[in-house]
Amino acid sequence: MRVLIVDDSSVMRKIVARGLRQAGFKITDILEAGDGQQGMDLLKTDSNFKLILSDWNMPIMDGLNFVKSVRGGPPAIKNIPIVMVTTEGGEGKVGAAMEAGANGHIKKPFTPETLQQELERFLK
Amino acid sequence: MSGADSTELMNKLLTGLRLAVTEMMTAMAMSEVVFAGQESADSFTLTNEVVGLVRLDGQLQGMVGVSCSQSLLREIVSRIVGLAPDELAMEDLLDGAAELANMVCGGMKTKAQIGSVQLSPPVSIVGQEYTAQWKTNHPTTVFTFQMDEGVLMVHASL
Repeated sequence: MRVLIVDDSSVMRKIVARGLRQAGFKITDILEAGDGQQGMDLLKTDSNFKLILSDWNMPIMDGLNFVKSVRGGPPAIKNIPIVMVTTEGGEGKVGAAMEAGANGHIKKPFTPETLQQELERFLK
Repeated sequence: MSGADSTELMNKLLTGLRLAVTEMMTAMAMSEVVFAGQESADSFTLTNEVVGLVRLDGQLQGMVGVSCSQSLLREIVSRIVGLAPDELAMEDLLDGAAELANMVCGGMKTKAQIGSVQLSPPVSIVGQEYTAQWKTNHPTTVFTFQMDEGVLMVHASL
């Protein structure tokens, strides 16, 4: 089972990766991208992901445009579930991402238990 | 917004901020943190090597900062990401200081249950060659938290 983490913060990518492992998911590979554009570039050559976790605030291509790009992308990637990992709550920004096709939202800070609860349906 | 409403909102955020720091350090850094005091200041010099900052906008404007020594930041980030302190690069420390401020502010908003305040992307300063002067139009509340490895300061100008 493979997961893609899209976040401009190297620390946050490490935190999410560690949280996924601590949550007990049987993940074989965790790949990372530093912004939405890097994420799209990676997905063009490698689409075998069970889940994408994406930040909102990123340079070059933010989380909202990344979600839109994936959903408007080729069949191999357009249905990969995307969960937003942000500090913002359920208001405006997250609502816009969900409307654009995001499948869920996790608020920072989070615990491995939160990840387990929120992501189990995607990583069974 | 009336003066009374503004004060109520500010108090909610300050209470949320204090709780968020404790919760974040316990849940994510698995570190014991003890609230060690609170004071108010009009301006001061940030003497710590590390500062993470987030600007607040919307119903209430202001700035929240987290500051500590570089060794404490290294320890906190090390615990959060699960790497040895000496394995962390400068990029990790810069991102770590920013994320610390970001997560503390996110937690503050959640605890205060206020959706009408927006947070800016976080910025950070790490290094002894920088000295920042904190000056605002309103007094700054400074929370001090004691950890085993040092002191963490949280500054809020709301």
